Amino acid sequence: MNPGPQVVTHLFGKSYLPVTDTLLIGWLSVILIIILAKYLTKNLKLRPEGKQNVAELMVTAIYDQIEPMLPGEGWRFLPFIATIFIYIGFCNLIGFVPGLTSPTGDLNTTLGLALVVFLVSHYEGMREKGVWGYFKSFGQPVIFLLPLNIVSEFAKPISHSFRLFGNIVGGGIIITLIYQAAPGLVPVPLHAWFDLFIGLIQALIFGMVAISYISVAKS
Amino acid sequence: MVEFSPETIEMVIRSVSVIAAGLALIAGIGPGVGMGFAAGKATSAVRRQPEARGSIVTTMLLGQIISGSTGIYSLVIAIYLVFT
Repeated sequence: MNPGPQVVTHLFGKSYLPVTDTLLIGWLSVILIIILAKYLTKNLKLRPEGKQNVAELMVTAIYDQIEPMLPGEGWRFLPFIATIFIYIGFCNLIGFVPGLTSPTGDLNTTLGLALVVFLVSHYEGMREKGVWGYFKSFGQPVIFLLPLNIVSEFAKPISHSFRLFGNIVGGGIIITLIYQAAPGLVPVPLHAWFDLFIGLIQALIFGMVAISYISVAKS
Repeated sequence: MVEFSPETIEMVIRSVSVIAAGLALIAGIGPGVGMGFAAGKATSAVRRQPEARGSIVTTMLLGQIISGSTGIYSLVIAIYLVFT
């Protein structure tokens, strides 16, 4: 029960470019999401039926989360936020398959996603207020608070990534402990809680926190 | 002056870090109380204004996320203490 990425194989010889299971399962879920998206959006009709309803439901559900916090820019941010929602939700759910581990149970995945959100939020803040105006907003309301504002800005990606990582790894550790204490059918309902419910809630929360960081940087 | 062997020192460090990991999870009290308080307030707000349910739930979740990060920090520190 050692958490974290396990090195599966090496590219180019014995010790160069280690390939971890996180990388392989992350790419597997990317390919599965592409196949699913292609399947759901095949021959779209004006009057939706069947699988097109599922695709429209997902898009409008994510749009309804973005629109109240970034008014008027829901369609602009939809591709970015929907990517985060769907990728993290899929990565959390793929741990439900026996033999596969969630790529989000690795700090590299979550920190990478959090850094992308960090860069996008700063870019949007500069786009809204101009570069100098954005940097001046760190000295608000008094210049004395400048170091505190900068430290809290760097704490954002750290807490953002550790929240997802901690939830997924913590659930995995609890399930492993219960498998050792009471094997058999006892841990099965816990999978429904830790993998399905917590996984989907954490994907929703990661996306909502990303939206709120962007809207804080813009205001 | 008593000399300890390296194995003894290693064992003491391991056992103390496991105890410290358990103690770090005491921090779970704070987020639990805070998130429960926010959920209770949100429930009474929904009862008073059922039409504003969507925005109340969104605000409640955001507040709970922020107050829940301290618990996650303690969990990460506990994992670090046990597995290194």
